[in-house]
Amino acid sequence: MQRETRIAHYVVGVLTALSLILLSLPLSSPVRAFKACASYIFDPISFEGEQGSQKLAEAPSRVRELLSADIENRRLQEQLRQTSWLKSTVDGLSLENDRLRKALGLKTPPGRHPVWAHVMERDPQHWYGSVGVDAGADKGVSLNDPVLGRKDDAVVAVGRVIEVRPMTSTVLLLTDQRSAAAAYLSSGTLEGLVQGQDAPHLRMNYLNSEAHLVDGDLVYTSPTSATFPPDVLIGRVAKIDPRDPFLAFQAVEVAPALDAAALQEVLILRARTLPGEGPLPPAPPLMDRGSLGPSPAVSSAPPPAAAAGAKRPRRTASGGVSFSTAAAAAAAQGAAPKAPSAPSPPPGDDESPEEAPQ
Amino acid sequence: MSYVRGAVLFVLAMFLQWWWNSHLAYWGAAPQFLLALTVVVAARRGPVPAMLVGFVWGLFSDCLRADLFGADALLYSLAGYAAGMVRSQVDLGAPEPLAATVFLFTWAYAILLGVLGHVFMKSFVWVGWISFLTAPFMNALVAIIGAGFVAERGNA
Repeated sequence: MQRETRIAHYVVGVLTALSLILLSLPLSSPVRAFKACASYIFDPISFEGEQGSQKLAEAPSRVRELLSADIENRRLQEQLRQTSWLKSTVDGLSLENDRLRKALGLKTPPGRHPVWAHVMERDPQHWYGSVGVDAGADKGVSLNDPVLGRKDDAVVAVGRVIEVRPMTSTVLLLTDQRSAAAAYLSSGTLEGLVQGQDAPHLRMNYLNSEAHLVDGDLVYTSPTSATFPPDVLIGRVAKIDPRDPFLAFQAVEVAPALDAAALQEVLILRARTLPGEGPLPPAPPLMDRGSLGPSPAVSSAPPPAAAAGAKRPRRTASGGVSFSTAAAAAAAQGAAPKAPSAPSPPPGDDESPEEAPQ
Repeated sequence: MSYVRGAVLFVLAMFLQWWWNSHLAYWGAAPQFLLALTVVVAARRGPVPAMLVGFVWGLFSDCLRADLFGADALLYSLAGYAAGMVRSQVDLGAPEPLAATVFLFTWAYAILLGVLGHVFMKSFVWVGWISFLTAPFMNALVAIIGAGFVAERGNA
């Protein structure tokens, strides 16, 4: 205890002396240097403390800003979602507008009203067989109505209605094995029967065995077709089968103009009128389907075969034809009769599942 | 480990003194943490450590003021010495004697600071009535809290 007290006395003496020196000589160089050193050592406490204090003081405002930013972020995300939904709606409406504008410019055959429908169902087991569409009896669709597709600016034969429900229908595609349609080739006006194969391609049979077939020929529906309007594009000759000496006709493989797997919407040419709708123009008789044009004189002038043989002008760039113009053009050319150069398809050739060749 | 803790508390006390004086002192009323803790150190460790700690803390306080460089160093050292001497007569481990000692030392500090100003600057440095009247109570409270904190940490 004595020792500690003695040391304490010494220490207090030294520290007091030192303090008094500092107090007495505030302007001397050693004291100023000592003060500078002490300030240098102790400054970080106040400096860093001030920095930390400022950050601490800013914390509430930063938290507030963070919360505001989070609220703003959520609001903008919600707005973005709504905008995305709006954009998709606008895109859909734009597509629909485009489609309807083209539909307005489309001349439909007399006795037919176009009905656009969306493909809503496909059967994976029968991908090339049939599709379900969202138009049924409520929109005037009836059995055996022709169904067309759209490729670029042209309409393309797709199939026919085989089942009608109140709000939906089933379309039998041309690629189905049960489908068949009378058709002709664009180069030689050869007629034949296009038949489905349950595959992506079609087969056109009953072509004249002596005819010279050209690869890449376009295939159109014939005026003799019982279901389709004439001159509607079906596809293109993809492959010419080698001649079979045991058959009296040739056959070619046809690539459909519109892939059945790419169908999104179809155009149904309905014949039935809806309640409250004006009467449809009279449809031409079945055997006179080749003249679906507007002029009665034209529609009754040529026989079906002649109409089929007549040149079909005014095809669109993609091979499609405006319905009313082909027959009119045929009429303008005098509808020169033409003998079918191919063997006639069997009676009741097309579109009848019961009669379709297997 | 106790040295590290001591160093941390040493720096923390300086920081606390600066921060309180800078941000929480109203009308000059602020506790003198360093003076109170010097007495606490003297009560627990004896006069020599208290004087050394008080001297350095005093230098820190002197660096924060423009005049009388060395006054706080002297007064804190004397406070440590006096507290170290008193602890042989009074039990400074108890809160009440500790608070009373700090209370009186605060007034002594204010008067001695004025005297030092009168001696070395030819003008009595008066801390102000608010500080003179409130600082002893706040210092006593700080000493009690600080002693309790140090005792708790020491037991831990």
